[in-house]
Amino acid sequence: MIVAMKRMSLIALKCDEAEILKALQDIEAVQVIRMTDETAASAELDALEQRGARLTDSIDAVKPYAKKDGFLTPKREERLEDLRSKVDSGVSISSEVEELVRTKNALKAEHEKNSEVISSLYPWLYCPYQMQSIGSKKFVKVFAGLIAAKDLDRLKEQDYLSAEQFGGGSVIAVIVACHIDDAKAASTFFKTVDWADYVFPKLDGTPLQAQDTLRERNREIETELAELEEKFKTLAEQSNALKDASDAIRIERDRAAAGTALKRTKAAFVLEGWIREDEKDKVEKAVAGVTDAYSFEVFDPTEDEIPPSVVQNNSFNRPFEAVQNLYSRPDPKGIDGTPYMTPFYILLFGLMLSDSGYGLLLMIGSWLYIKFKKPTGMSGGVVRVLFWGGLSTIVWGVLVGTFFGLTLNDKIGIFPLLFNPMEDSMMMLGLCFGLGVIHILFGYVMKMKVAFMQKDWQTAIFDALPWIMIILGLVLYLVPSLMGGLPPIVQTIGLPLAGLGALIILLFKGRGKKNPIKRTISGLGELYNVSSLLADVLSYARLFALGIATGVIAQVFNDLCGMLMGSSNPIMAVLGFIIGCVLLVGLHLFNVAINTLGAFVHCARLQYVEFYGKFYEAGGREFLPLGYRTKYTNIQKNS
Amino acid sequence: MDGTALATLGAALAAVLAGIGSAIGVGLGGQASAGAVSENPELSGSCLVLQLLPGTQGIYGLLIAFVMASKAGLLGGGDVGVALSVAEGWHYIFAGLPIALGGLLSAIYQGKVAVSAINMLTKKPDQAGKGILMAIMVETYAVLSLLISFLLVNGI
Repeated sequence: MIVAMKRMSLIALKCDEAEILKALQDIEAVQVIRMTDETAASAELDALEQRGARLTDSIDAVKPYAKKDGFLTPKREERLEDLRSKVDSGVSISSEVEELVRTKNALKAEHEKNSEVISSLYPWLYCPYQMQSIGSKKFVKVFAGLIAAKDLDRLKEQDYLSAEQFGGGSVIAVIVACHIDDAKAASTFFKTVDWADYVFPKLDGTPLQAQDTLRERNREIETELAELEEKFKTLAEQSNALKDASDAIRIERDRAAAGTALKRTKAAFVLEGWIREDEKDKVEKAVAGVTDAYSFEVFDPTEDEIPPSVVQNNSFNRPFEAVQNLYSRPDPKGIDGTPYMTPFYILLFGLMLSDSGYGLLLMIGSWLYIKFKKPTGMSGGVVRVLFWGGLSTIVWGVLVGTFFGLTLNDKIGIFPLLFNPMEDSMMMLGLCFGLGVIHILFGYVMKMKVAFMQKDWQTAIFDALPWIMIILGLVLYLVPSLMGGLPPIVQTIGLPLAGLGALIILLFKGRGKKNPIKRTISGLGELYNVSSLLADVLSYARLFALGIATGVIAQVFNDLCGMLMGSSNPIMAVLGFIIGCVLLVGLHLFNVAINTLGAFVHCARLQYVEFYGKFYEAGGREFLPLGYRTKYTNIQKNS
Repeated sequence: MDGTALATLGAALAAVLAGIGSAIGVGLGGQASAGAVSENPELSGSCLVLQLLPGTQGIYGLLIAFVMASKAGLLGGGDVGVALSVAEGWHYIFAGLPIALGGLLSAIYQGKVAVSAINMLTKKPDQAGKGILMAIMVETYAVLSLLISFLLVNGI
């Protein structure tokens, strides 16, 4: 059901602003509408954003050292006051973390630089001179560099240069000296050969000694880094404080952001917002709890104001809102499809998996996840959908008599209760198409319902009803010829019913057009949609195909492991049994996972395209009330 | 060539062609995922699902190959079942074509959609569901190919 939304307008004194916003945030019922277009946010908001970003960085920095939460560990429940009290300690821990990160980065950079210098000194290891003593003097120009071995002879041929070479190899370190007047000629010469200038690092001693010094320093750095790791580990123990502070700042930031959306005068402020119709008393009570100097008005939105889309369902249907939200929230003027889609979703999901063992696994798994992890939001919805889907899978699995890919009929004679889809494939296809026809038919009924709800009887009678007649008529005409045993009268009313439907479409589809030819053409165009109707029905063949994918793959896995276990050699038999068991568990888990994903999305597609396509108006905005949008904790309410 | 050899070829084509398609599709998805995850490691879960989607065609091909092999008595170990006629052998090859070719091409295109969806995730991380649905639309045709191949093999 779509919840009616109201516009609200609150005027109160500026001195109460902070407290009122806090009270409104606590009830999570008001979506603030931005009344100002100044993009220059307040200094307070900027500061909070920055603090939040620093806390997030720190949390990420200590994350590799922190204890990991288990897969089923739920979010911590914290009271708001406790969170707020952690802010100061969180920020100071964050500063410590930042300091550590800076030190770590500096040390790492130094280590890297030292390593580079060490490797650049290798060609100079045979140079016995103090590096700082090598350099040009008043009348002597000195060059240090690396020259390719093939050019060494040419260097020696230059009689105005005096060169000393160190070591050998393909690239040779040389120190070259010449008279200051020949420096230019020397430079020109170096350009003609394979020569690279070398600048000695600012270190004392010979190259060999310098390398040792640097190596020594790098060893020190490595110990310091190891000590830093320990410090990180100690700080990581306090990462919960960081997370609490981060959530507290997030709450403050949301409130500050809401504050920037208000219009203000010298003494008062105006808060415009969206609220649910049934929560207006709650909102007024929250404001009245702060002050009695206020004006609170609730009114209907104007035509051009589009309210956010909120739906409300009972606890059984609510998880399926997640499936609907994956597609789109409903248009506020349309209808909430959740309660109508739920039974079909459960029914079709089970048929796609149709293995009682897998259903059991899915049901128990999602139950455990709900029980221990206590998921909320989208993932909470999806897990609950899987729970019901698992139940349906068990039922279908029993009907067709399968258990982890085994055919139950081999053990107990009464199975399958319905039929075995692998043998009666035509029966199975018929069942899928039958369910499809019912689903699509229901979609058109929903279209009529929506049209009547919007007081548009013409759409209901001329656009939706004829299609219902056509589908029903064709079914009545076709089914008896396939099944037999039905009175012939059923068949005889089928065709006229479909014909009447077609006639209505032909005459009234283009009811907006005066010209009879144009009118007939648009009617014919609509009738052509019978082909897409056929495609819609055929699309339900996927129910069977996904059932095959699950069932046959399970059989294949069973057979493979059976081959492993069936060796006649006793040692191989024992070994094969152990490997086979492990493999069987792993393979079946894989099969459940991949086919549950397939069933979930293919079932969703049948809802979105084949069912919602008939009546659902998409495009609603999410309702985002000012509230506690925390990341690491759940806020425990006082009341 | 006798019928058994032809049936073996049919099973091999179903497994290999659909498998090649999946390998290409999953490969494309993996490359895009690596890029997306390097930007935002929190995306790895949704990216993994998207990358995996084109992998199902390979499984479908395997499935059909297995059904064919067991039906043609190719799995019996020592004794190779009843000898098949050449016509029967061709029957196996044709029955496997839908999933072999349908799987090959749909996996490649599904992989391309998955790549686009992964790129979308880097900009809109909360839209994973829609991306998965886009890729699933392509999967439809692999599923239909699987169904037809299965019915054809069953009918032999």
